[in-house]
Amino acid sequence: MTDQATINQDLFKRTLLSYRGPFYIELISVFGTNIKEFTKEYNNSRRKLFRIFIELSQNVSYYSEHFHMVNNIQRIGLGELVLKEYETFFTFTTSNKVKNSDANILFERCKIVNQSDQLELRHLKREQRMNSPGEKFGARIGLIQAVMLSKNKLKYKIEKIDDKFSIFSITVKIDKN
Amino acid sequence: MENITLTSSPETPYFPEVNFDIESGKCEISGESYMEETYKFYLPLITWIKQYIETKNQKIELIIKLIYLNTSSTKCILDMLEVLKDYQDKGGDVKVIWYYDIDDPDMVDEVEDFEVESGMKIELREFE
Repeated sequence: MTDQATINQDLFKRTLLSYRGPFYIELISVFGTNIKEFTKEYNNSRRKLFRIFIELSQNVSYYSEHFHMVNNIQRIGLGELVLKEYETFFTFTTSNKVKNSDANILFERCKIVNQSDQLELRHLKREQRMNSPGEKFGARIGLIQAVMLSKNKLKYKIEKIDDKFSIFSITVKIDKN
Repeated sequence: MENITLTSSPETPYFPEVNFDIESGKCEISGESYMEETYKFYLPLITWIKQYIETKNQKIELIIKLIYLNTSSTKCILDMLEVLKDYQDKGGDVKVIWYYDIDDPDMVDEVEDFEVESGMKIELREFE
């Protein structure tokens, strides 16, 4: 991107949604409805953004190492999300606590996803869905799906908190048109 | 065996509407599907289909009108398609119809992936 283009994008930049806390399904659903409303003039990106939003938010809800137990049964992950709008695209970021051992796996998974083209991602998605254990583990293809939908590379970051945990952040760029 | 009828609600848009009819063998799922613990929702539907196949041994039609399903739900739908494919391979009369929005090419890709993964032929129809 040229310097002028970067300046234009930054001038337009605004935060549409920012949240930190537990990722309850009821809350995710309300945010999702709002996102559809914010982006209704962009027919193509509206659908993609909603789908990516749900996938990444549910990853936080299911896998964050910082979590609440509801009625000693249901585990609700805590984390952070930020949705920003630029002149020609949106960015959606989620951050959550992970074990350091899992951080390495996630880092490698993101690297593989970013190195793959659309056809390779499609094969990877099919393979992982067919071989996933199912039940409570889901399909484990949310990151692949996010890249396939956005057609942009993931931006990801791991910041170590201590010997046991890190913060894993992931950003997806969704073009408006 | 009884029919399954689950209506959708604006308060819980992450649950789809479900109508499984024992007389006609028509099983329809519509709306959006991104609930937590997806398998707990879909397991009774998969069990119903298995029981229908065992007890009725008649034509079964799966009609999907989902405008969005999260990746966990796709795994459950795949399991459902595999049950139907198995029935078809044993001589059962099975039809799968998937409705999609013409402006949603990602959904068409998803359906193609389901066909490859399950081996089940899926008829695509545009929403009217």
